[in-house]
Amino acid sequence: MNNLWLALQGAWNVLWVGLLLGAGLPAIFALGIRALSYGVGGDADATLHEPHPAAKVVAFFCFGVVVLAIAAGIGVIVAHGLGAKLVFDGIVPAFVPK
Amino acid sequence: MPPELIVLALVVVVALVFDFTNGFHDTGNAMATSIATGALRPKTAVALSAVLNLVGAFLSVEVALTVTNAVVNIQDKTGAPRPELIADGGLSLLLIILSGLVGAIVWNLLTWLFSLPSSSSHALFGGLVGATMAGLGVEGVKWVGDGTKLDGVIGKVVLPALMSPVIAVVIAAVGTSLIFRITRGVAEKYRESGFRWGQIGSASLVSLAHGTNDAQKTMGVITLALIATGSWTDLESVPFWVKVACAVAIALGTYLGGWRIIRTLGKGLVEIASPQGMAAESSSAAVILASSHLGFALSTTHVATGSILGTGLGKKDATVNWRIAGRMLLAWLITLPAAGTVGAIVWFVGHSVGGLAGALVVTAILVASAAWMYLRSLRTAVDHRNVNDDWVEQVTDRPVPHHGVREETKA
Repeated sequence: MNNLWLALQGAWNVLWVGLLLGAGLPAIFALGIRALSYGVGGDADATLHEPHPAAKVVAFFCFGVVVLAIAAGIGVIVAHGLGAKLVFDGIVPAFVPK
Repeated sequence: MPPELIVLALVVVVALVFDFTNGFHDTGNAMATSIATGALRPKTAVALSAVLNLVGAFLSVEVALTVTNAVVNIQDKTGAPRPELIADGGLSLLLIILSGLVGAIVWNLLTWLFSLPSSSSHALFGGLVGATMAGLGVEGVKWVGDGTKLDGVIGKVVLPALMSPVIAVVIAAVGTSLIFRITRGVAEKYRESGFRWGQIGSASLVSLAHGTNDAQKTMGVITLALIATGSWTDLESVPFWVKVACAVAIALGTYLGGWRIIRTLGKGLVEIASPQGMAAESSSAAVILASSHLGFALSTTHVATGSILGTGLGKKDATVNWRIAGRMLLAWLITLPAAGTVGAIVWFVGHSVGGLAGALVVTAILVASAAWMYLRSLRTAVDHRNVNDDWVEQVTDRPVPHHGVREETKA
C-alpha cells in the first residue's frame, strides 16, 4: 500500500501548510480588527468610535500581511496555470519554470 | 460527412455541457458562505465567481492533455490515444469518452436535484472508469499506479477524498476558534464589516483556483477526442477555441448558480456568521492552493464542505446539522461507483446499437434524463430569491424548500 503512505504524507504536509495559512492568516486579520476597535466594548454603541492612531498602525500592518499573502496565493495560481512555480528566493518572489 | 466527425461533434458538445454542470455544481464551494452571511447579494456573488472562473480558465496555459491517465489507460504517457482504440477512425474511443461524460453529467444533475454538493471531478473520473471497464474490461482501469507516486483510482481519487474533508475540518475549526477568541468583546461595527471583506477576498481566491483547476480537465478531454479523430495532432497544446469554449461554459454554469447546492452549503449545514465565513473560505483556499502546489490532488467540493463543517465545530454552541452532513458523505462515497455505473450502462447501450446511431442514442439518453431531472427540480425550485430562506427541515421536518416559499416571502 505505497499509495496509502504517500497519501498520508501528502495530507500531513497539506495539513501543516493549511493550518499556517488557512487558520493563521484569519487570526492575524482578526487581530487587526481587534486593534481597530481598541477602546470600545462589545456592548457599547460604537458608531461614533474612531480607532486610536496607534491601533490603526497595528491594524493596517495586520491587514497588510493578509493582503500580501493573498497576492502570493494569486501568484501561485497564475504560476501554476503558466506551468511555472512560485518560489521565494530570500523573500523576493519569482516565477521559475517547472 | 464521416460518422466519426458527427460523433466528435456530439462529444465536444456533451463535454461542454459537463463543464457547464461543473460550473454550477461548484459555485457554492466558493460563494455559499458569502451569500449566507449577506456579505454579497446572491446575484453579485455568482457574477463575481463566474468572472473569476473565466479568468482562471484562461490562466491555464499549460493544460494537461493526460487528464484521463489518472484513472484509465486510454492514452499513453505523451497523451496520444492508444492506437487500437482509434483504428476505426476513433469511434471506439469516442464512445468511451461520450459514455463517461454522460455518466458524469447524469450524476452531477442528480446530486444537484437532491441539493447535495458532490465532486464534479470524481463524477468525471467515475464516468470514465465505468465506460472504460465496460469497453475494455477491468484491465483498462488504472487502480493503483506503479507505486512511485500517488496515482490511479485509489491514489488520485479514493484516498484524497477520505483525507481532504478531515484536513479542511481541522483547519477551519482551528481558524474559527482563533478568530472568535481574538475578537471576543469586539464591537459589532468592526467585526461584521471587517470580516465581510475578508470573506469576499478568500472566496474570490477559491473561485479563481477553481477556474484554473477544473476547466482544464474538460479542455483535456475535448482535445483527446479531437486527437482520436485526427482533427488535432499537437500533443503539447490545446486548440484556442477549445480553451475559449471551456472557459465560457464553466463561467456560464457558475453564473447560473447551483442555488440548491449553495443553499445546502450556506444554510443547511451550519448557521454561518461573517467571521466563520472568512475562516471557512480561508481554510478552503489554503488547502486547495497548498495541495495543488504539493501535487496532492484534492476535490474543491470536499474541501469546501469540510471547511464549512469545521467552522461549525469551531464555534461554541453552533449547531451542525448532522443529518445533512451524513447525506453528503453518502453522496461522496457513491459518486465514483454511481457515475461509473451510468457510464458503463450507456456504453453497453451505445455499443450494442453501434456506430453513429449508438452515439446518438447515448446522447438522447442524456437529454431525456436531464430534461426529467430539470422538470423534477421545478417542483421545489430554489433560486437567488429564496436561497437564504430559513432551513425549513429543522423547523418542520419537511424537505426544503416547500413550494410557494418564493411567492410568500420574497416577492
